[in-house]
Amino acid sequence: MSEQISGEPDKKSGGGLLQDVGAGLFLILISLFFIWQAWSLPLGSLRAMGPGMLPMSIAVIMGIGGAILMTIALVSGGPRLTRPHVRGLFFVLGGLILFGLTVRWLGLIVAGPLAMIFGSFASEEVRPVEAVIFAVVMTAFCIGLFKYALGLPIPIVAFM
Amino acid sequence: MKKLLVAVAGLTAIFAGPAFAQKYPTKPITMIVPFAAGGPTDIVARIVAEPMSRSLGQQIVVENVAGAGGTTGITRGAGGTPDGYTIMMGHMGTHGAAPALYPNLRYNPTADFAPIGVAAGTPIIIVGSKKLPADDLKGFIAWAKKQGDKANHAHAGVGSVSHSTGILLNSILGTKPTFIPYTGTGPALNDMLSGQVDYMTDQIVNLVGQINAGTVKAFAIATPKRSPALPNLPTTKEAGLDGYEVSAWNAVFAPKGTPQAIVDRLSDALSKALDDANARKRLDDLGAVIPEGAERGSAALQKLVVSEVARWTPVLKDAMAAQKK
Amino acid sequence: MDIFSNLAMGFGVAFTLQNIFLCFLGCMIGTLVGVLPGVGPVATIAMLLPITFGLDPTGALIMLAGIYYGAQYGGSTTAILVNIPGEATAVVTVLDGHQMAKQGRAGVALGISAIGSFFAGCVATLFIAAMGAPLTKFAQLFGPAEYFSLMVMGLVFSTVLARGSILKALLMVFLGLLLATVGTDLETGQERVTLGIQQLSDGIDFAPLAMGIFGFAEIIRNLEEPEARDVVRGKIGKLLPSLAEIRQSFPSILRGTAIGGILGILPGNGAVLGPFASYAVEKKIAKDPSRFGKGAIEGVAGPESANNAGAQTAFIPLLTLGIPPNAVMALMVGAMTIHGIIPGPQVMTKNPELFWGMIASMWIGNAMLVIINLPLVGMWVKLLKVPYRLMFPAILIFCAIGIYSINNSVEDVYFTAFFALVGYIMIKLGYEPAPMLLGFVLGKLMEEKLRQALILSRGSFTTFVERPVSGTLLAVALIMLVIAFLPAMNKKREQAFQE
Repeated sequence: MSEQISGEPDKKSGGGLLQDVGAGLFLILISLFFIWQAWSLPLGSLRAMGPGMLPMSIAVIMGIGGAILMTIALVSGGPRLTRPHVRGLFFVLGGLILFGLTVRWLGLIVAGPLAMIFGSFASEEVRPVEAVIFAVVMTAFCIGLFKYALGLPIPIVAFM
Repeated sequence: MKKLLVAVAGLTAIFAGPAFAQKYPTKPITMIVPFAAGGPTDIVARIVAEPMSRSLGQQIVVENVAGAGGTTGITRGAGGTPDGYTIMMGHMGTHGAAPALYPNLRYNPTADFAPIGVAAGTPIIIVGSKKLPADDLKGFIAWAKKQGDKANHAHAGVGSVSHSTGILLNSILGTKPTFIPYTGTGPALNDMLSGQVDYMTDQIVNLVGQINAGTVKAFAIATPKRSPALPNLPTTKEAGLDGYEVSAWNAVFAPKGTPQAIVDRLSDALSKALDDANARKRLDDLGAVIPEGAERGSAALQKLVVSEVARWTPVLKDAMAAQKK
Repeated sequence: MDIFSNLAMGFGVAFTLQNIFLCFLGCMIGTLVGVLPGVGPVATIAMLLPITFGLDPTGALIMLAGIYYGAQYGGSTTAILVNIPGEATAVVTVLDGHQMAKQGRAGVALGISAIGSFFAGCVATLFIAAMGAPLTKFAQLFGPAEYFSLMVMGLVFSTVLARGSILKALLMVFLGLLLATVGTDLETGQERVTLGIQQLSDGIDFAPLAMGIFGFAEIIRNLEEPEARDVVRGKIGKLLPSLAEIRQSFPSILRGTAIGGILGILPGNGAVLGPFASYAVEKKIAKDPSRFGKGAIEGVAGPESANNAGAQTAFIPLLTLGIPPNAVMALMVGAMTIHGIIPGPQVMTKNPELFWGMIASMWIGNAMLVIINLPLVGMWVKLLKVPYRLMFPAILIFCAIGIYSINNSVEDVYFTAFFALVGYIMIKLGYEPAPMLLGFVLGKLMEEKLRQALILSRGSFTTFVERPVSGTLLAVALIMLVIAFLPAMNKKREQAFQE
């Protein structure tokens, strides 16, 4: 996956951050988060490890690794970051979250089409009418498949 | 608008009354099992759910919501609508040991439920590796006392039945072995077969196959009576250990506020299920103890929960505090 | 009794009309749930347990076993077509399988995976029949120290999964290990990095993580680069592998079968390592390792065979020791118990018709799966022709329902959305998800076994070297590490991190 992004010299990038500087930062942030969370846990000793030993030591190693990655990139350069596809992120993740919000409360019969129709707008090629019809058909199919064929206990019409 | 609200409230009151309970149940009932499918609690739940569905005339759908020693599922169940369409299968851990083990527990086992009845008790057995020098419980106790922390005591994870019952055993014996934590009975048994760990306590279901095959040594069963599944295995009392009688019981609960008529209906259905010949045979095969007479029903379960919480809390709190040091 | 009379008895049991039908039914359901992302064999077998109440135990187990290995077949379909690994064992199939699909060789990838799986399944079945009992002795050699060393060896493999920078791949392994530490501490029961979220107290689930990081991140990337994916739809290519391709992948299938079969016997879920190990071996011995990750057929054939061989031999600890090596096998124990068969070392002697009937049915099941799956290849490949604007909402809804139904939990759906975001950021940053997932899968087992081993040795690290099996595994890991880094050390620094 990565080589396609890094291989093409920035087509869309607006001369942004070096990719590996971002990559290093990403890990350093995660590492700091874990160190913060694991701070209060007893470390124990190498001979009798406490709950905090592994999260803490792995986080530290990973953070140092991230710093090395950043340094190498700053010294020798590399591909730059490309702009994120906000539309795709917003609608696809939004569709998932909508599904989660509604499935227990309203049931699959509402949550299914809602998630699919909302999600469809992630694509520039979306055709609203087609998306609605397809969402309804697919939901019906899913109800048949998951509820009746597989017998999963998923709410269909929870609001009644 | 206000009128409408009053009207709705009035209607709800009518429906919530006895007239409604007579019609209950009109749609499938969800039974939350707070453990993964296939485990001892799940098996008991599925065995009783089948005949219960028949006598209620509506399907009971088992929904497995596993996690955090069963407390995830019970938390969800306790927050469910108290209309009789959400019930749950609790057990010794979720309604006995949990308050001591989970400081952030979001339910109170004695106050947040409408108890329906005990479904089955699963006896606990003390087993050891074949490499142990002891052959009976007396020998085992002597060995454990002599070994001190050199003894390796396996358990299937903090919060599991084998963990709680193991802590209780050690506290009664006054021994302080080294605890080896596993993530389930299977891996713990595996290391016991190869002799890496010395002993553990667990439910009869998980052990009876190994005991019959002679791959592990069984020392005693922690019930007042011997089990028909292992007639040669003495009880703890017979073998000279007083006070160690434990069972990993399973019981059905509804959320607090469920109308009494519905609770009675479910209680009755559970009792009938426990008299069903097929269900009895399945439970017997598991080595489970079926509650009889006064041991059934809401009142008996409520008493059991109160006594279990009182029993486990001090023992487990002490043990957990010692571990965290 | 010798093995032939036993097998004859087994086939006698398996070849009744009822059992053949149940086997077929199991395989069909298994294929279906394997294809559906999220709804794995665990959820399905759990749902179907009560239905099997009415059957005789052998029939019930034959059907449930069919679901299990059917799901292994089906799972590779999703991995290849839409880049979603339903289970840890399908992660490596994604690497080259999905690349093949992108090149219009989806049919070839699906075909070779079915053929490889069939071959592996047949060999593994014979293996169980002939060696099942003695092999349990081998499994007993594996205590916590040995597992830990095995996992270390597995982590060394992970460097081989890298397609780009080795440093970045290593860092991803560490991220995976780090994510694996989330959840309740094994020994003390303290919560670690759970942010007070109850669903995290048992750790991060594999399915939301894998689906978010592979499947959904890939969807967003595809939406971003419409050119790239339209090319895929343009050419569908041939449906089945050619003889030359089969010949090319046959050695990989053989090696994969051996590796997966052996790892599958280990009662601590060693089977998850099989596909990774097989992929590592294939890439190491290939004349041109740079083809891997870009649609190398050996990268599908080997791991898929390893996966299926492991899925079959995983029955050995269950049937001969009564100890379930993974969640599906734990369900099998449940199924046996419900039917009044107490799992344990005596199943083989006390219920020979069950033991041998199941083994025979595995062979029949594997044959059925090929018959079911090969014609389906054409249908799956045609699905790729569906316009992407319809395809991705369909994947979205299938995944959403699938994830929800694993634990009947909406939180898992939110976690998936979160990991999709993380996965997309990772793509942007040039990170690869596969090494991270390997680190994650191994991390859980590794910490558990490390700490068990250290408690058992009362804190002495020499236990890992002193115990012969463990020491040998560590030595192998060390040698592999040296081989991996030696060529790099001779080159200039820039090249060193750019395999």
